[in-house]
Amino acid sequence: MLLTASYLRPAWLGVVVYLGIAGAALLALLSYAAPSSWFEYLQDPYIWRLIRFSLWQASLSALLSLLLAVPVASCLFHRRFKGRQLLLNLFAVSMVVPSIVAVLGIIVVYGRNGWFTQLFGVPFPLYGLGGILLAHVFFNMPLAVRVLLQTYSLIPDAQWRLASQLGFTRWHAFTLIEWHYLKKALPGLFLLIFMLCFSSFAVVLSLGGGPRSSTLEVAIYQALRFEFDLNKASYLALLQVTICSLVALLVYRLAPKVVQDVSVFRGASAPLRSGRLSTTVDGAMLLLVALWVLPPFVAIVLPVLSTVFWQTLQAPALWHSVWNSVRIALPSGLLALLIALSLAALARTLRWRERGDFWADKFEQSGNLVLMIPGLVLATGLFIVFRFLGIGISNAYWIVVWVNGVMALPFVLRSLLPSVYQQEKRFRLLYQQYGIKGWARFRLEWPVLRSAMAQGLAYAVLISLGDLGVVALFGSKGLETLPLYLYQLIGSYRVDQGACAAVVLISLCVVLFYVINRVIGGRRAEL
Amino acid sequence: MSIKSLLGTAALAFASVSSAQTLNVYTYDSFASEWGPGPKVKQAFEAQCDCELNFVTLDSSVGILSRVQLEGSESQADVLLGLDLNVMQAAKQTGLLAKHGVDTSNVTTPGGWSDEYFVPFDQGYFSFIYNSEAITTPPKSLKDVVENQDLRVIYQDPRTSTPGLGLLLWMKAVYGEQADDAWQTLAQHTVTVTKGWSDSYSLFLKGEADVVLSYTTSEAYHVVAEGEHKYKAVSASEGYYPQIEVAAMLKESANSELAEQFMAFILQPEFQNTIATNNWMYPVIEDVEPLPDAFTALPSDDQVLTLPAEQVAKQRQRWINEWLDATTR
Repeated sequence: MLLTASYLRPAWLGVVVYLGIAGAALLALLSYAAPSSWFEYLQDPYIWRLIRFSLWQASLSALLSLLLAVPVASCLFHRRFKGRQLLLNLFAVSMVVPSIVAVLGIIVVYGRNGWFTQLFGVPFPLYGLGGILLAHVFFNMPLAVRVLLQTYSLIPDAQWRLASQLGFTRWHAFTLIEWHYLKKALPGLFLLIFMLCFSSFAVVLSLGGGPRSSTLEVAIYQALRFEFDLNKASYLALLQVTICSLVALLVYRLAPKVVQDVSVFRGASAPLRSGRLSTTVDGAMLLLVALWVLPPFVAIVLPVLSTVFWQTLQAPALWHSVWNSVRIALPSGLLALLIALSLAALARTLRWRERGDFWADKFEQSGNLVLMIPGLVLATGLFIVFRFLGIGISNAYWIVVWVNGVMALPFVLRSLLPSVYQQEKRFRLLYQQYGIKGWARFRLEWPVLRSAMAQGLAYAVLISLGDLGVVALFGSKGLETLPLYLYQLIGSYRVDQGACAAVVLISLCVVLFYVINRVIGGRRAEL
Repeated sequence: MSIKSLLGTAALAFASVSSAQTLNVYTYDSFASEWGPGPKVKQAFEAQCDCELNFVTLDSSVGILSRVQLEGSESQADVLLGLDLNVMQAAKQTGLLAKHGVDTSNVTTPGGWSDEYFVPFDQGYFSFIYNSEAITTPPKSLKDVVENQDLRVIYQDPRTSTPGLGLLLWMKAVYGEQADDAWQTLAQHTVTVTKGWSDSYSLFLKGEADVVLSYTTSEAYHVVAEGEHKYKAVSASEGYYPQIEVAAMLKESANSELAEQFMAFILQPEFQNTIATNNWMYPVIEDVEPLPDAFTALPSDDQVLTLPAEQVAKQRQRWINEWLDATTR
């Protein structure tokens, strides 16, 4: 059998570590469920109003992010300019900015006394859908740009050479070449952003302007924390999974069928003709980024100039929390990478086989499962499992590592799969002919895969660094991470110091992202 | 370091673990933080108990309760420090708590204290805070806050935050059956309703609102810690709604004697003196060092509104739904 080969055993182990534990956690929670009472919950009109609003704001957020990300990605791919690299690094950390910090950054720019008001004399209509969209685009547009840039790197050099020889303008290249590749990445990307926004919590409450703007996640939090109603929590979690799955089905149904692309290594780039249109569009997009995404970043980093910043740096507790964060983030990043490699190994073995594509898709999609289930729900379920097994809280460290690792899985898979498939499609026959498999094959592929692996690992580490919810639930001694410390500061009136801790967090993210990509990805790594 | 001295250190470390008992106290994060009362309480208690006091920090007072509910009888907690009035009933119903046996006759909470499961350790009063430099005619009551349509208000969600729940009960205590109309009036000039206190208070400090739901003692914090006099608490002519934070010990505690000792220690001056300027709340006994001037006098008993705990436990969900209905209409 295909999947029982001995060299795939480690991959199955990875799948068990992921799906086995996740399944156990969910089952543990569901064992408290009393489905007969769910009918009553179903009739709660507020929940339906909430779902309608969530669907609306999440779709809009995802569409808007993509609408902006496509031209920005095209511009960043074709043009080299000063500050481009810095911009890309900032884009990598945008999604891990703690929500309270992002909200405060947005307030500095768009708030009642913000830069926008000072510039135009009228306040920006921040509270309500406007503010939610603003924040969600701030978090997700940069993510989308980075994923799209990765898609660009799958376009074979030969096509660019040809385009250059034929004198294509950027518009020709976009419609005839780029769009062909982008349109395959867009549905998945839309779903990713949709799910992130669908379950967004603190941001939606802070900028939503009242309980009219709220998400299912709030109800789940309330059920778990305030009411400790495991039955209701499992109902709401299942409801969220169902809705997200339906949306996923719909999107994949409308989307073009994905046929994996085969790219050739990057060589010398072939310049395209730059017409007036492309210059204008590029300029406009960069201006938009500079005016929309960058100002909140500037506002967030600004405390670096204050004296409070240097005082904050002198607190030993700060460095202690930095150490704790790294201590959790690195292993969970590694775990995420190993699980993603396992899923990828199984998926690529099945891909392009008879009836195999179906199962390969399932392995891929199982990585997204976790986006639909709130981390709090997973962690609670795990806690019940541990209690059942009689293992005490001294093991909370590993629970946090696991949950954080699993939460990063969708991002790691997205980085990893294109390159993995590419190798498979090009060299499968060769590998079979020479009987190269397992470790030997991994060593052969390492030079090609390492940059994708580095990027996946870096994303996972960053996501774990920025996590708050899971650590807060377990909050044992020795797990006081940087985001937790930051919230402690803000939670005891020290807003300015909290803002400074945020600068430390962002710097740490940028440094780790860079170092991981350089050390593991090698010098050729695309950052 | 030589191997011998290394071994010596190791042996010492081992000895210190094995000889002294460890008391596990679950509390919320700002209590145990370096600027909270935690470190001082730890030092003072360890000086008299020949034990180690270990704070396990959770994100909020409801976090403490849900953690213990998750752990059930397997919990390693000996004492829970930081539950409040409104989750007492739920905590009692878990059946995990033990009676404390501490004499609470000297407690100064409104109406005195006589609960056999909980010992109060601090008290505070919900209030709206405003910037006196930005507002010329400040509100003077809860009604003023609710009805003044020019006032931009931020408060916390009663589904996710304790002060938010406090406001819900306060409104109920003041408006009774008319609470839903009051919520609707308030909703018309509400800027936003946040997940927790931190989010709203930082939005307020950035100037996003004229008033924010907090505690009367916030005023004292700005004066004492920052020398800033412009932030004031709105006085409440209808009466104040209290938040009383309490501690309880667990039935299954492996160190019940030590836990009892700690429960009694809570009402000692060594503990109570740390409350005012570290937790920014009022102590619950009279025998404490004088508070800084910025702490206004405690409201007298007739200025305090409370709803009975049983009624709160029973009606909370209904009142939350009433709030949701009124504010999303």
